[in-house]
Amino acid sequence: MKFNKEIKNELIELLEKKNIGLEGNILKIIDTSDDPNFAKYVEDCKEKDKETRKKRLDITKQVQEKNKELLEVNAENERIMEELQSTLKEVEDAKITFEVQNRELVAWKQDNERISLELQQEMAKSELARIEAEEAKTAAVNDLDVLQKKKQTELIGNIVKIALGVIISIGIITTFMYILALLINKDTQMIGSTWSNMLGILLTNAFSIIGTIMGVKYSGKEDKE
Amino acid sequence: MIDSLMLVDDENLFHLVFEDACSLLDISLSLKSLSSSDEAAKLFEKWFKGDGSDKPECVFVDLNIIGSSFDGIELIRKINFEYGNNVVIGIISSSNEPEEQAKAIQAGAQFWIIKSDDIEPRLEQFKEDYEGYKNRTAPFKVYK
Repeated sequence: MKFNKEIKNELIELLEKKNIGLEGNILKIIDTSDDPNFAKYVEDCKEKDKETRKKRLDITKQVQEKNKELLEVNAENERIMEELQSTLKEVEDAKITFEVQNRELVAWKQDNERISLELQQEMAKSELARIEAEEAKTAAVNDLDVLQKKKQTELIGNIVKIALGVIISIGIITTFMYILALLINKDTQMIGSTWSNMLGILLTNAFSIIGTIMGVKYSGKEDKE
Repeated sequence: MIDSLMLVDDENLFHLVFEDACSLLDISLSLKSLSSSDEAAKLFEKWFKGDGSDKPECVFVDLNIIGSSFDGIELIRKINFEYGNNVVIGIISSSNEPEEQAKAIQAGAQFWIIKSDDIEPRLEQFKEDYEGYKNRTAPFKVYK
């Protein structure tokens, strides 16, 4: 690219008076081979442009670095936030689990209390049944004892009745035979002695039986006591 | 010096850094900066269908272009295999993954510049190697 003399002078004057010069890649395509003054102008502009670009590049790099740091911080913050949210979720999950477990424990406790109460009631019933059973057993034992005594008494009564019956019967028969012998004038010596012996024996035996019975009766009373 | 250069990068601040660095190092005369690979693909499609006289000579593409439908490697593949090739093209990224670099080679990338705070020395090396890329004699290179 080539400029005419007038433009070149205007550009040089603008740089000298107002410090305004050409910038950028246009400086790289300007032909300055025929004008040393303008070549110096272009070189000055290039230097100025280079300085400006260096400064801008440094600043841009700094901004880029800061930007990168901010992005890293932001990423770290996001990571921490995610961790916090994750932890919060875990805590909430744990809270829900605890609540569920707590509800289960309360239900379990209530069940236990109910079962314990039922057990106590059953134990009370069982104790009552045991007492009733013991009482029934005692009653049964007593009934058996009474029955045994009754049977015994009945047996004794029967023995006494039979024995007395036998004694009285023998006594009556012997007495009848003796009286008959007396009435028909038969020899009574033998029947008389027999009658008296028999009566004595019978009486003795009768008293012996009674004595035995009484003895057994008293013996049973002592055992019972 | 490269006549025209294109940068496709989602980071606008890097546009400024790249522009100033290129200007200071006298790498290119003109620079066009784009923020999305879709926009770049559209332009290349237009140039491919038209005369393509204002097509850039060299293209720098970021690997991950946030907000775009496809990444930098896919853009390179499209430019090389769908839109007529004929540009020096490579990746400029903070990533240094060999797997990604292998994919970039497959897509036709010629270089890989690691993006960092001190980009100027790498661009200076690239400037020295540029003729090799232009005449397709230089192998794929990673500028670390």
